[in-house]
Amino acid sequence: MNAIHPIVLHGLIYGGAIATVLLTLTAWGIWFERKFAGRMQSRLGPTLVGWVGLLQPLADAAKLLQKEDLIPDQADRTLYLASPPLTVFFTLATVAVIPVSVDVAVANLPIGVLWILALGGLMVFPVWTAGWASANKYALLGGMRAVAQGISYEIPMVLSALVPVIFAGSMDVNEIVTWQAEHHWLVLGPGLFAFVIFFVSSLAEANRIPFDIPEAESELVAGVTTEYSGMRFGLFYMAEYLHTLVASAVASALFLGGWNGLFGLADGIHWMLAKTLALFFMITWVRWSLVRFRSDQLMRLCWTYLVPISLALVMVSALWVYYEPMLGGH
Amino acid sequence: MTLASAARLGVDPHRDLTDYDPEADLMVLNMGPQHPSTHGVFRVKLYLDGETIVRAVPYVGYLHRGVEKLLEELTFVQATPIVDKNDYVSPMTNEQAINMAFEALLEVEVPRRARYMRTLFAEMSRISSHLLWLATFGIDMGGALGGGTTLFLHCFREREYILDLFELVTGARFHYNTHTIGGNRHDIPAGWAKRVHQALDLIASRVDEYLDLSTKNAIFVARTRGVGTLPAKLALELGITGPILRASGVDHDLRRDAPFHAYDEIDVKVQTEQAGDCLARAHVRIRELSESIRLSKLLVDGLPEGPICGGRPIKNPTQFKAKDGQAYVALETPRGELGTYVIGGGGNKGASPYRLKIRPPSLHALAAMPYLLVGGTISDAVVILGSLDPIMGEADR
Amino acid sequence: MLKAEAYRALLESDFGVQEFSDKTPPCIEASEHHRLAATLKERGYTLYGFVAATHMPAVKGAADALELAGHYEVATGLRCPTAGSHIAIWRVRLGLDEELRTLVDLFVGADWQEREQYDLVGVRFADHPDLRRLMLPEDWEGHPLHRDYPIDTPHPPWR
Repeated sequence: MNAIHPIVLHGLIYGGAIATVLLTLTAWGIWFERKFAGRMQSRLGPTLVGWVGLLQPLADAAKLLQKEDLIPDQADRTLYLASPPLTVFFTLATVAVIPVSVDVAVANLPIGVLWILALGGLMVFPVWTAGWASANKYALLGGMRAVAQGISYEIPMVLSALVPVIFAGSMDVNEIVTWQAEHHWLVLGPGLFAFVIFFVSSLAEANRIPFDIPEAESELVAGVTTEYSGMRFGLFYMAEYLHTLVASAVASALFLGGWNGLFGLADGIHWMLAKTLALFFMITWVRWSLVRFRSDQLMRLCWTYLVPISLALVMVSALWVYYEPMLGGH
Repeated sequence: MTLASAARLGVDPHRDLTDYDPEADLMVLNMGPQHPSTHGVFRVKLYLDGETIVRAVPYVGYLHRGVEKLLEELTFVQATPIVDKNDYVSPMTNEQAINMAFEALLEVEVPRRARYMRTLFAEMSRISSHLLWLATFGIDMGGALGGGTTLFLHCFREREYILDLFELVTGARFHYNTHTIGGNRHDIPAGWAKRVHQALDLIASRVDEYLDLSTKNAIFVARTRGVGTLPAKLALELGITGPILRASGVDHDLRRDAPFHAYDEIDVKVQTEQAGDCLARAHVRIRELSESIRLSKLLVDGLPEGPICGGRPIKNPTQFKAKDGQAYVALETPRGELGTYVIGGGGNKGASPYRLKIRPPSLHALAAMPYLLVGGTISDAVVILGSLDPIMGEADR
Repeated sequence: MLKAEAYRALLESDFGVQEFSDKTPPCIEASEHHRLAATLKERGYTLYGFVAATHMPAVKGAADALELAGHYEVATGLRCPTAGSHIAIWRVRLGLDEELRTLVDLFVGADWQEREQYDLVGVRFADHPDLRRLMLPEDWEGHPLHRDYPIDTPHPPWR
């Protein structure tokens, strides 16, 4: 034990715990989504495996594990094999800086927001390489669309994530949450529009409907994941839900006050969980109601609407923070 | 995409390139025959420049089962269940088409009650066909996992009511084999009219829900407005009929213009749009759905009494014989003009047709693909194919 | 109906048709086929209807030369898409090695329909831009709806 540095030990224990909780939430998030989708469509969703189908994620995992391990003959082996675990890795790594409770995080980086946004950008790469390495035209098209969409929507995401940074005066996520605990939740004030833009951009980054053209099933068979089977496909599938949960967690921390409680109730991890799951529910609801955008319409939405608005928001926030003390604080 | 602009773009839909011009640097992508969205086994070879389609070459015939040849061996009486499987989404109209052709050839009268029943079944079939079209159109746009599926399941839920009604009359949910030469084989049971009203009222009340999920949904409109515009002149030359022609501005509907069966006694309000794009086609079909609900209620209330079959009851497969004669009879199906051209005097001492040609509206609609797809993206290709509503069983026979 | 009578009058005056029957569509000369379609298109028959080819095998001791040798009969229909929608149908009789002039330059829809008749029956269309099989695979041999097509023997290329 003396040989391991305390920071490393802290990281391993907390990281392991948070990752375990997150992956469990992902698995049962899938269950919830299927039940919710079923109810929206006048049917029941999974019911056979376990009480109200609660063991369905385990059944899905078992099914995927026992499938044949296929690698297309002409595929680029290294990239093909590396892409699925990398998607999960980059997504999970984002969680390192999110405070799940008061001063409880895997790492309280002073540049936490930058860490989140940088990894968000890196997440595009494994999807892209999966598309290219599959040696399949549908996958290639899916990968190219993913890159275009991913890098375009990073810009409004970065700009809208700057608004909490400007208000709190720090890029440390725990400090942002503390600022919100002391003042007010950012979404209940000037950060509302920034929250909306951040939410929409996260949907696009996570490739969720209405932004799911990289894996548009009706057009591109299965898009980027066409040539993947078994647990490799399972990793992509899991990464999608994980990314959704992580994006919800990040949005809750940056805009909804993280572990801070409402109405003076005790702060803690339960609030963080509640907010994350509430946003996850919203994302699921949107998914099962809307049809998808065409890729050029999606680009137009980003560049002609979201980017200028988020730029304006950054300027407005800066001016607000500068002039607020002079106008008398709240 | 007009004929002139197709020529200017160097698009020649008649030609298929076996190897593409290397200077053009085009990617060849095969959509189908196995694809989640090609509405049956249909293949279209796309030549892509990035994501824009430069040329599209469709291939049909994957579902060719030799129905016309088969019907030369079978007798008139045996044809109905075979033809059921052509346009498998609205089987009632298939049966009606072929039996009308045989009645014209054999000069058999159809009693008034049977004419009303056939018209009623055709209109209900039209409702269920348009519901299925809307469902699959939603899936094409929203994917099998997503908002499209919600629309899909809602439409299928309604369609089940109509299939239940058909089951009460004929015993089958699909593929009924209920029409025969001279009329129908199954009569309507007691209390059926009331159930028809209940089911249709339910569907009518939910049409608003469909509109919310489709033509009033901003993303749906963005995906379909201005996409796949079909000029009226091209549509007429291709022989396209039905909702597609009406969405391009041509006011033509066989139910009103060349009425057959009970259509000469009721008033059909023909729905047209001017734009000719996918959104216009969607509007026309949904409005036709409402119109068919109204017509079905009129028909079921005004059903006259009487016999349901004018020909002799079937005891022997070869009992109807035609020595000679030729007849062409066309009727309006949910896809357009389904025509049957039959020449009498075939095998089995005249009990089989000599030649039976089925004019499928879906094949004419698919011939528009090379003109409509050029200049769009793959996403548009899927939406356009969905809006043309082809049924491969009918197109290929 | 007004349109049916006008059609009949047109055939009598311009195309020399004398025999009309209720049971079969009127028959015109093969060389007049394209001209009739063009005339009708000008008169408002702009909706392409159908084309149906039939192979009539040789009849021994027939009076008519075509019937003696075996011939193709091609029926074409064009519709007028206005009120009182009327479909004008006519037949053409062709020798087995003759070609019928295509209607593709008038109606683009004739492209696939004529290809299908070539594919299934075997009748060829002159000046067609791309006469190849539509329904059957490209390497299929024979025309299934031709009366000489053997269906009781194992016939290549279907193994």
